[in-house]
Amino acid sequence: MILQIIAAFFLMGGFFFLVVGVVGLLRLPDVYTRMHAMGKCDTLGTGMVLIALMLLIGDITNITKLVLIGAMIATINPVITHVIAKTAYNRGTPMVEGSFLINDYVASQRRRRRSQIEPATVKEGGEGS
Amino acid sequence: MMTTLMYSAVVGLIIISLFSIARAYSGPTVLDRVVAMNVITTNVVMIILIFAYIDKSYYYIDVAFVFVLGAFIGTLCILKLLREGHII
Repeated sequence: MILQIIAAFFLMGGFFFLVVGVVGLLRLPDVYTRMHAMGKCDTLGTGMVLIALMLLIGDITNITKLVLIGAMIATINPVITHVIAKTAYNRGTPMVEGSFLINDYVASQRRRRRSQIEPATVKEGGEGS
Repeated sequence: MMTTLMYSAVVGLIIISLFSIARAYSGPTVLDRVVAMNVITTNVVMIILIFAYIDKSYYYIDVAFVFVLGAFIGTLCILKLLREGHII
Protein backbone atom coordinates (compact mmCIF):
# COMPACT_ATOMS: atom_id res chain seq x y z
CA MET A 1 0.00 0.00 0.00
CA ILE A 2 2.75 2.45 0.94
CA LEU A 3 4.58 1.40 -2.23
CA GLN A 4 1.52 2.24 -4.31
CA ILE A 5 1.24 5.66 -2.67
CA ILE A 6 4.89 6.40 -3.45
CA ALA A 7 4.38 5.17 -7.03
CA ALA A 8 1.29 7.36 -7.42
CA PHE A 9 3.31 10.36 -6.21
CA PHE A 10 6.05 9.69 -8.75
CA LEU A 11 3.52 9.12 -11.55
CA MET A 12 1.70 12.38 -10.86
CA GLY A 13 5.01 14.24 -10.55
CA GLY A 14 6.22 12.93 -13.89
CA PHE A 15 2.92 13.78 -15.55
CA PHE A 16 3.11 17.29 -14.07
CA PHE A 17 6.56 17.83 -15.53
CA LEU A 18 5.49 16.55 -18.95
CA VAL A 19 2.56 19.00 -18.87
CA VAL A 20 4.92 21.83 -17.90
CA GLY A 21 7.15 20.96 -20.88
CA VAL A 22 4.22 21.10 -23.30
CA VAL A 23 2.99 24.40 -21.80
CA GLY A 24 6.49 25.81 -22.33
CA LEU A 25 6.44 24.48 -25.88
CA LEU A 26 3.18 26.28 -26.57
CA ARG A 27 3.80 29.56 -24.74
CA LEU A 28 7.47 30.47 -25.15
CA PRO A 29 8.38 32.83 -28.00
CA ASP A 30 11.48 31.32 -29.60
CA VAL A 31 13.05 28.11 -30.90
CA TYR A 32 15.78 28.18 -28.26
CA THR A 33 13.46 28.79 -25.33
CA ARG A 34 11.06 26.10 -26.52
CA MET A 35 13.99 23.73 -26.75
CA HIS A 36 15.02 24.66 -23.21
CA ALA A 37 11.56 23.74 -21.89
CA MET A 38 11.47 20.53 -23.92
CA GLY A 39 14.87 19.20 -22.88
CA LYS A 40 14.67 19.65 -19.13
CA CYS A 41 11.03 18.86 -18.48
CA ASP A 42 10.91 15.83 -20.75
CA THR A 43 13.97 14.24 -19.19
CA LEU A 44 12.74 14.79 -15.63
CA GLY A 45 9.16 13.70 -16.30
CA THR A 46 10.27 10.57 -18.12
CA GLY A 47 12.58 9.62 -15.25
CA MET A 48 9.83 10.04 -12.66
CA VAL A 49 7.27 8.01 -14.62
CA LEU A 50 9.86 5.27 -15.11
CA ILE A 51 10.60 5.20 -11.35
CA ALA A 52 6.86 4.80 -10.68
CA LEU A 53 6.60 1.93 -13.15
CA MET A 54 9.68 0.25 -11.62
CA LEU A 55 8.13 0.42 -8.16
CA LEU A 56 4.86 -1.04 -9.44
CA ILE A 57 6.18 -3.83 -11.64
CA GLY A 58 8.70 -5.32 -9.21
CA ASP A 59 10.12 -7.92 -11.60
CA ILE A 60 13.87 -7.92 -12.11
CA THR A 61 13.95 -8.46 -15.88
CA ASN A 62 11.38 -5.75 -16.63
CA ILE A 63 13.08 -3.41 -14.14
CA THR A 64 16.32 -3.92 -16.06
CA LYS A 65 14.59 -3.03 -19.33
CA LEU A 66 13.05 0.08 -17.76
CA VAL A 67 16.43 1.19 -16.38
CA LEU A 68 17.87 0.74 -19.86
CA ILE A 69 15.08 2.85 -21.40
CA GLY A 70 15.66 5.54 -18.77
CA ALA A 71 19.39 5.64 -19.43
CA MET A 72 18.73 5.73 -23.18
CA ILE A 73 16.32 8.68 -22.92
CA ALA A 74 18.58 10.51 -20.45
CA THR A 75 21.46 10.34 -22.95
CA ILE A 76 19.47 10.80 -26.16
CA ASN A 77 17.48 13.87 -25.11
CA PRO A 78 20.47 16.17 -24.36
CA VAL A 79 22.18 15.01 -27.56
CA ILE A 80 19.07 15.86 -29.62
CA THR A 81 18.74 19.21 -27.85
CA HIS A 82 22.38 20.06 -28.53
CA VAL A 83 22.16 19.16 -32.22
CA ILE A 84 18.91 21.11 -32.68
CA ALA A 85 20.49 24.18 -31.03
CA LYS A 86 23.59 23.90 -33.21
CA THR A 87 21.50 23.54 -36.36
CA ALA A 88 19.28 26.49 -35.46
CA TYR A 89 22.28 28.68 -34.68
CA ASN A 90 24.10 27.75 -37.87
CA ARG A 91 21.02 28.33 -40.04
CA GLY A 92 20.60 31.79 -38.56
CA THR A 93 17.18 31.27 -37.02
CA PRO A 94 16.13 34.63 -35.58
CA MET A 95 15.91 35.07 -31.83
CA VAL A 96 13.14 36.91 -30.04
CA GLU A 97 13.31 40.68 -29.58
CA GLY A 98 15.38 41.67 -26.59
CA SER A 99 17.72 38.69 -26.46
CA PHE A 100 21.41 39.25 -26.95
CA LEU A 101 24.60 37.27 -27.43
CA ILE A 102 28.09 37.90 -26.13
CA ASN A 103 30.99 37.13 -28.51
CA ASP A 104 28.82 36.00 -31.42
CA TYR A 105 31.38 34.07 -33.47
CA VAL A 106 29.13 32.64 -36.19
CA ALA A 107 27.39 35.94 -36.90
CA SER A 108 30.70 37.76 -37.16
CA GLN A 109 32.03 35.13 -39.57
CA ARG A 110 28.86 35.34 -41.66
CA ARG A 111 29.04 39.13 -41.74
CA ARG A 112 32.67 39.03 -42.84
CA ARG A 113 31.95 36.48 -45.56
CA ARG A 114 28.97 38.50 -46.80
CA SER A 115 31.00 41.69 -46.99
CA GLN A 116 33.84 39.93 -48.81
CA ILE A 117 32.19 37.71 -51.37
CA GLU A 118 28.56 38.39 -52.18
CA PRO A 119 25.19 39.10 -50.58
CA ALA A 120 24.13 35.79 -49.06
CA THR A 121 20.58 34.54 -49.31
CA VAL A 122 18.47 34.23 -46.19
CA LYS A 123 18.02 30.56 -45.45
CA GLU A 124 15.35 30.56 -42.78
CA GLY A 125 12.10 32.41 -43.27
CA GLY A 126 10.78 32.42 -39.73
CA GLU A 127 9.69 35.48 -37.87
CA GLY A 128 10.27 34.15 -34.36
CA SER A 129 7.13 35.77 -33.07
CA MET B 1 -7.01 3.11 -7.47
CA MET B 2 -3.80 2.66 -9.40
CA THR B 3 -5.53 1.64 -12.63
CA THR B 4 -7.79 4.71 -12.55
CA LEU B 5 -4.79 6.95 -11.97
CA MET B 6 -2.94 5.38 -14.87
CA TYR B 7 -5.90 5.69 -17.23
CA SER B 8 -6.21 9.38 -16.31
CA ALA B 9 -2.48 9.84 -16.90
CA VAL B 10 -2.83 8.20 -20.34
CA VAL B 11 -5.74 10.50 -21.25
CA GLY B 12 -3.73 13.53 -20.11
CA LEU B 13 -0.72 12.42 -22.15
CA ILE B 14 -2.93 12.04 -25.24
CA ILE B 15 -4.32 15.57 -24.70
CA ILE B 16 -0.88 17.16 -24.34
CA SER B 17 0.29 15.24 -27.42
CA LEU B 18 -2.57 16.89 -29.34
CA PHE B 19 -1.39 20.30 -28.11
CA SER B 20 2.12 19.41 -29.31
CA ILE B 21 0.62 18.55 -32.71
CA ALA B 22 -0.83 22.08 -32.72
CA ARG B 23 2.68 23.46 -32.22
CA ALA B 24 4.05 21.17 -34.95
CA TYR B 25 1.35 22.43 -37.32
CA SER B 26 1.86 26.15 -36.68
CA GLY B 27 5.57 26.33 -35.94
CA PRO B 28 7.22 29.27 -37.71
CA THR B 29 10.42 27.38 -38.56
CA VAL B 30 11.14 23.76 -39.35
CA LEU B 31 13.09 23.29 -36.11
CA ASP B 32 9.97 24.04 -34.06
CA ARG B 33 8.37 21.08 -35.78
CA VAL B 34 11.37 18.89 -34.95
CA VAL B 35 11.15 19.90 -31.29
CA ALA B 36 7.40 19.20 -31.22
CA MET B 37 7.89 15.78 -32.80
CA ASN B 38 10.50 14.98 -30.15
CA VAL B 39 8.00 15.84 -27.41
CA ILE B 40 5.33 13.68 -29.09
CA THR B 41 7.80 10.78 -29.26
CA THR B 42 8.50 11.01 -25.53
CA ASN B 43 4.77 11.13 -24.74
CA VAL B 44 4.05 8.11 -26.94
CA VAL B 45 6.82 6.12 -25.23
CA MET B 46 5.27 6.95 -21.86
CA ILE B 47 1.83 5.87 -23.12
CA ILE B 48 3.24 2.55 -24.34
CA LEU B 49 4.94 1.87 -20.99
CA ILE B 50 1.84 2.71 -18.95
CA PHE B 51 -0.29 0.46 -21.15
CA ALA B 52 2.28 -2.29 -20.69
CA TYR B 53 1.64 -2.07 -16.95
CA ILE B 54 -2.16 -1.77 -17.22
CA ASP B 55 -2.50 -4.72 -19.59
CA LYS B 56 0.19 -6.79 -17.75
CA SER B 57 1.74 -7.54 -21.12
CA TYR B 58 5.34 -6.64 -20.53
CA TYR B 59 6.69 -7.29 -24.01
CA TYR B 60 5.47 -3.81 -24.95
CA ILE B 61 8.56 -2.53 -23.09
CA ASP B 62 10.69 -3.82 -25.98
CA VAL B 63 8.38 -1.97 -28.38
CA ALA B 64 9.03 1.25 -26.45
CA PHE B 65 12.79 0.59 -26.60
CA VAL B 66 12.76 0.19 -30.38
CA PHE B 67 10.54 3.28 -30.68
CA VAL B 68 13.07 5.40 -28.75
CA LEU B 69 15.96 4.23 -30.93
CA GLY B 70 14.07 4.74 -34.19
CA ALA B 71 12.99 8.24 -33.22
CA PHE B 72 16.59 9.14 -32.29
CA ILE B 73 17.97 7.98 -35.63
CA GLY B 74 15.18 9.72 -37.54
CA THR B 75 15.68 13.04 -35.77
CA LEU B 76 19.44 12.90 -36.31
CA CYS B 77 18.90 12.21 -40.04
CA ILE B 78 16.50 15.17 -40.34
CA LEU B 79 18.96 17.49 -38.58
CA LYS B 80 21.89 16.33 -40.72
CA LEU B 81 19.79 16.93 -43.84
CA LEU B 82 18.99 20.43 -42.62
CA ARG B 83 22.60 21.25 -41.81
CA GLU B 84 24.50 19.77 -44.73
CA GLY B 85 21.96 19.22 -47.48
CA HIS B 86 22.52 15.47 -47.74
CA ILE B 87 22.27 12.55 -45.37
CA ILE B 88 24.89 10.01 -46.46
